[in-house]
Amino acid sequence: MKVKMISRNPDNYVRETKLQQHKMPRNYDPSLHPLEGPREYVRALNATKLDRVFAKPFVCNLSGHRDGVSCFGKHPKQLSTLATGAYDGEVRIWDLANRISSRNFVAHDGFVRGIVYTQNAARIFTVGDDKTIKVWKAEAPEVGEDEVPVNTILSKFGLHGISHNRKDNKFATCGEVCAIWDESHNDPLKTLKWGVDTLHTISYNPVETSILACCASDRSIILYDQREAQPLRKVVLTMKSNKLAWNPMEAFNFTVANEDCNLYTFDTRKLQAPLKVHFDHVSAVTDVDYSPTGKEFVSASYDKTIRIYNAHHSHSRDIYHTKRMQHVVCVAWSLDNRYVFSGSDEMNVRMWKANASEKLGVIRPRERVNFNYQEALKQKYAAHPQIKRIARHRQVPRHVLNAQNKMRTVKEKEQVKEANVRKHTKKSKKVPYVSEKKKHVLKEEV
Amino acid sequence: MSDDEEHYEPKAHKKLLQAIGSLGKVQHIQKSTRDERQSRQDEFQLVKGVSSAETDNAPRAVGLNDLVDILRTSTKHSQTGKKLKSIQGSKKVLEKPLEKPAADRIKRTIGYEGVTKKLGRWDAVVAQQRSAETQIFPLPSETVYVNTSANARPLNTRVKSNLAQELEANNRKLRELRKAEIGDTTDEKELAKQERFLLQKKLTRDELFARRKELAYLKMRESQKSAKARMQNKIKSKKFHKLQKRQKMLEQMKEFELLQKTNPEAALEKLNALEKSRVQERASLRHKNTGTWAKNLQIRAKYDKDVRKDLAEQLAVSRELTQKKQESDSEDETIKKTVVPEEEENDYDPFNPWTKRRATEQTENGKGESEDANWRQYWTKRNKNEKLLEEHRRDLVGVQDNDEQEEKETIQKPLTEVKPAKKKLKKSKVKIENGWQVEDISPTDKKEAKERPNSKAIDDIFEKHGDQIRAKLSKDSELKNTELQLALPGWGSWAGAGISKEVMERRNKRLLLKLAAPETRRDENKDNLYINESASTHARQHMVSSIPFPFRSLADYEASIRAPVGRNFVPETAFRMLTRPAVITRKGQVIEPMTESELVKPDRRLRHIVDRRIKRIPKVPPKAKIA
Repeated sequence: MKVKMISRNPDNYVRETKLQQHKMPRNYDPSLHPLEGPREYVRALNATKLDRVFAKPFVCNLSGHRDGVSCFGKHPKQLSTLATGAYDGEVRIWDLANRISSRNFVAHDGFVRGIVYTQNAARIFTVGDDKTIKVWKAEAPEVGEDEVPVNTILSKFGLHGISHNRKDNKFATCGEVCAIWDESHNDPLKTLKWGVDTLHTISYNPVETSILACCASDRSIILYDQREAQPLRKVVLTMKSNKLAWNPMEAFNFTVANEDCNLYTFDTRKLQAPLKVHFDHVSAVTDVDYSPTGKEFVSASYDKTIRIYNAHHSHSRDIYHTKRMQHVVCVAWSLDNRYVFSGSDEMNVRMWKANASEKLGVIRPRERVNFNYQEALKQKYAAHPQIKRIARHRQVPRHVLNAQNKMRTVKEKEQVKEANVRKHTKKSKKVPYVSEKKKHVLKEEV
Repeated sequence: MSDDEEHYEPKAHKKLLQAIGSLGKVQHIQKSTRDERQSRQDEFQLVKGVSSAETDNAPRAVGLNDLVDILRTSTKHSQTGKKLKSIQGSKKVLEKPLEKPAADRIKRTIGYEGVTKKLGRWDAVVAQQRSAETQIFPLPSETVYVNTSANARPLNTRVKSNLAQELEANNRKLRELRKAEIGDTTDEKELAKQERFLLQKKLTRDELFARRKELAYLKMRESQKSAKARMQNKIKSKKFHKLQKRQKMLEQMKEFELLQKTNPEAALEKLNALEKSRVQERASLRHKNTGTWAKNLQIRAKYDKDVRKDLAEQLAVSRELTQKKQESDSEDETIKKTVVPEEEENDYDPFNPWTKRRATEQTENGKGESEDANWRQYWTKRNKNEKLLEEHRRDLVGVQDNDEQEEKETIQKPLTEVKPAKKKLKKSKVKIENGWQVEDISPTDKKEAKERPNSKAIDDIFEKHGDQIRAKLSKDSELKNTELQLALPGWGSWAGAGISKEVMERRNKRLLLKLAAPETRRDENKDNLYINESASTHARQHMVSSIPFPFRSLADYEASIRAPVGRNFVPETAFRMLTRPAVITRKGQVIEPMTESELVKPDRRLRHIVDRRIKRIPKVPPKAKIA
């Protein structure tokens, strides 16, 4: 007969110093853990509750502008630098780590419409209502030197936005026309026009860098290629699009912030209908910016809130608001995927955590492991009603709640009406069912 | 005023006339000079030039006549002209170019198609990114990193501990001493080098052959030995094995004695080994009369004297082997204080290689051993009790068999005494093995214990009329408004008969158990409605209304929910794999957008061990799962 005896190495269960954790030999036999499911469920519930307890997304408020903030420019290399432009033509460069404005100068008469850094982050380009493009050094001038632009380009057309190519030294402006510029020339290389009065916003594709898109005042989105002599395609929505952002990890997807409270994610190759309609805002969406991972985006709205969406979900994951924040005009997602910046009418730039309950600062390995576990649990039990309710619950401002109710009523009324119409029409004349996606696209122009 | 008019200055007058004369000739608006390349000429900057006729020196502009004149200069040109004419007559005229909007539309379509194709390249990469278990940002760049750590020199300024310094100094001193005393001039580095050289040196041909031969021989010997051992194991003769064992024992004894003289440490180890084998044998219960061999012999034992002797011998061996344990048992019972060193001995497990050393070092600080002693005491006591109980039961069973008929007639009297014993018999099958008590506790017993109410009277009632009540309970219609008389004749009348009837009645009333009327159904007054009352409302709170997104079937989702992820329930490695986050970003690092290098890059080398493990898991295709 074979004799089996337990012989354990004490090194395996005796800790060496009292700073170490006790080693716990465990028996993973499921029959010994009859309550593993309920235990994990309770843990998931607690994790979800804690997540809401620690959800304090507001980091800081950057005040200094003397008029509403109109646009953001992200530094492509430094995480602690952000450039902002205001309605009074002032540009401020912020040192985010110290939460101070490190530099400020008046760049334009009237609004600053757009700020971009060049791809090597040596220069800043600003466009304003005074029909000029101004080039500034990215570094602050020496003590005693004046803030003077390196170059000022007088444009023949009005300017509403600017975007810089990520790979070469070309940039594009929009206004009456879409113009492609070279950094070293004072005249545009190319002007692209497609019978539209005004183009509000322009954005280069960060991946496929020759492609760019504009939003126009005739409710359309126009695609361009900087190498082509003609625009590529136009898609007309039911209402005007305010801003456009390309997905930095998925070359063919972009999202537009629309005046009709929704955001639309399009695939450039299939413009007949958006891939996804993102609801939840109760007023015009003014700005949108993708997270650098391409998984999520943040949107600013006239309803004084900013919302964070998963790029593939139609409803928002989170809503941020404060009592003092007025109409949010511009929004940006930091390049390390941790923070979100919002600039609003009441002259403040706000910094938020991208993940509301994330712990800032050093996270020790054991903490990290625990966070991961909690996250896994939350995800595992996400569909369970108790957990879902807690995870979804957000306190929203009264006016948003009212507007939501109103919108819901309107929508329900429309649905009822449609159903009635369908009910009372002859079967030979069918009332077609139109999907929500297709409702918002009027036509695709070639 | 009149003075001014009369005043005539010839110089100024001449200047004025000149200016008037050259009025049409001077160009006030300068022709634009371009310092930028422009694709389109600005209409406002097109300035009409001053006619060249006015300025004689300037070259004359080229006119149409000049161009035509050139054609006349050679005959070739006239021929070409004729040819052209003939062609114009014979060939068709090209169609009018398309309208500008139509042409633009075509251009746009072509451009868009090109872009679509270009964007299509990213499909695979995007799909891969989306389906990845873990995405790590920033995406690893194309930069090639070369590991130069092998070439790096160790730092000269390494901090050495005091001990290391001391050791080094000692070493140095020793070397110097050796040099001085015995003229030892060995260089250690040189020695190491030599050693390495020798190791690396190639063998000569003869050496190689010799070595191979030796190896072959060894291999052959080994196989022979193993074959022999196998043969011997197959031999069924008891005697042979007995003899062999004895021989082995003798050999070992001899060896041991020899060892004791030469190498006491090895001898001690040998002793330990012997001890181990003894204990193993003891634990194996080999020398009991329970084996098949012994059982077979037992049948023959009646008739055969030798067999009887063999069996007795076997039992004697077993007794001998188990003797030590019993001694210790008796010690435990009698003296508590002597237990302490004994327990320490118990703690010292000769077969645990880890505690072996420690045990020798361990000083006397026995603690908590008294508890163990208690524990053992408890068991011995219990065993004893059980034995007594067993005997008692056997007696009882005998009594029962005798009195069975009586029992049937009068239920009340004898049962009160017998019941507990009978119950216990039912409760557990008791086996006595090796002095240990093994109980098979069936789960139903536990339930019974739980169900038992505190009231003794009710308990008794249930015991007596158990079957009847159970039968009644099963038909709940009969149970409606049932009254149970819990009073027993003679119960409470401890002083004997003759208590007044009123008192008895009052008591009986008190002991009358009126069962509550069964609850009315919720759908009782609802005509055709059936409400499922067994469905729990508490469970409803936790029910998921629909299958969440990535899952297609209920079974899959349920399986995912059933599988635990915590480190209490799954091993650490699995825990790490299951809780690996979907997106990992690093603090303070800029995440650049995707670059074209991503299109041609081979699969990312997985640095993290958990990622590698996840990748190694074979992915089961969904079809295989269904089948």
